[in-house]
Amino acid sequence: MIVAERKPFAEIAQAVAGYRRVLVVGCGTCVAVCLAGGEKEAGILAAQLDLAGQLAGRQQRFATACVERQCDREFLSELDAAAREHDALLSLACGAGVQFLAERHPTLPVLAGLNTTFIGVNQDVGRWDERCRACTDCLLSLTGGVCPVTMCPKGMVNGPCGGAVEGRCETDPERDCAWTVIHARLSDSDRLANLEVLVPPRDHSRANLPGRQAHAAYLRRYSSHD
Amino acid sequence: MTSFAQAIKDKGFVVTAELDPPRGVDLGPLMALAGRIGAKVDALVVSDNQGANLRQAPWWAAHRLAETIPAEVILTLTCRDRNRLSLGGDILAAAASGVDNLLLVSGDFVSLGDHPQAKPVYDLDSVQALMLANGLAQGHDLNGQELAGAPELCLGAVLAPEARPLAPQLVKLRKKRAAGAGFFITRPLSGPDALKTFLQEAGELGAPIIAGVQAKNPEGVAAAAEMAKAIRAGGLAQGLHLSASGDPETLASLVEACGR
Repeated sequence: MIVAERKPFAEIAQAVAGYRRVLVVGCGTCVAVCLAGGEKEAGILAAQLDLAGQLAGRQQRFATACVERQCDREFLSELDAAAREHDALLSLACGAGVQFLAERHPTLPVLAGLNTTFIGVNQDVGRWDERCRACTDCLLSLTGGVCPVTMCPKGMVNGPCGGAVEGRCETDPERDCAWTVIHARLSDSDRLANLEVLVPPRDHSRANLPGRQAHAAYLRRYSSHD
Repeated sequence: MTSFAQAIKDKGFVVTAELDPPRGVDLGPLMALAGRIGAKVDALVVSDNQGANLRQAPWWAAHRLAETIPAEVILTLTCRDRNRLSLGGDILAAAASGVDNLLLVSGDFVSLGDHPQAKPVYDLDSVQALMLANGLAQGHDLNGQELAGAPELCLGAVLAPEARPLAPQLVKLRKKRAAGAGFFITRPLSGPDALKTFLQEAGELGAPIIAGVQAKNPEGVAAAAEMAKAIRAGGLAQGLHLSASGDPETLASLVEACGR
């Protein structure tokens, strides 16, 4: 899932300071799971902003709404009527959701309440770890299910750099060297031969541009050229 | 064959010394140090933003050294600060300016240096950088497109004999060799035994090893010289790579003690 964290309160308060009626819009999927931008967090933030606005002597009103996903039009449409009643929308979605909401309301200021951090996994209640860089060319079958592009800070794809110390990364003694883990995993699953594959330079041409993809069925329906 | 490759072959044992470009525009002190030690070594290795700390780009010092000092010059290029276009362009420019020995390295991560906020590049890893350079030497770029004039290059890579576990390092080493590394310079060694252990575990590399010997200060020169002597006497390496954490006087003493 996509992991995000709330921006510092002072930054959010400053961003909304100039607006009288603000709708805080939560997102009920990824950012709700990571306790950053769901219905509950939207409510808490609205209450905090309300209090801060009163203390600063500003005439502001904060309402909340939450949709299932801000990255889907069918859910965003639920907000259309409420959005028209406000001077600004404060989105607690990931960066994709904020942009989709802004695209739907081009005349309204749409502000971001979160910093999107990574694509990751839920390690424990309240702890998430990055696992994927969405690089468009997955090496996981080769590398024992451990991503060197994500888990090695240098993204080395042909083996470790020389900086690992006792199997730990040169950037952080608390962090395993990704290639030590890859080697152990491939050894345990009897696939060490995978390591001998010389991985050529990555083709970044797709990831360099804003991503776009279409399902084959979509193309069949809407495009004369498949 | 470049003259550094020739020197390794002919002499059987070479001595190199590492020079860091200045943190400013004055190349004078580096040239003065090179003048003092240049006749006592076979090659001078110019570092590239050593330790991820900002310094003058190494190609200028490498070019000036190649023009004025009798020793060979080895230019270090990191993958940290360059994408494939920049690496390829720098290699061609270096060769055009008379520097055809390269040490191609991943590069210490940016968080270890003086600009931890920088975006690291690592478009290629060190194996792929060797593939790129090897291709250029054969007259084509990474996409197989022909060059107008190919450089003659001698390619080197870094070796970490003391990294543990060793098995993943050996995988990388074999790939570096396959990608065209003609010599290996080791990270600074803790002692001759570390190299001996490595050689027993790694077996034949098929390329000369130049053993990293570092003195961090003047007081460390004697011990480093002892280590160098033991490495040479034990036939553990085909050369020494002398470095001194950027201290010119320490490097000069170390070269005096271990150089030709």
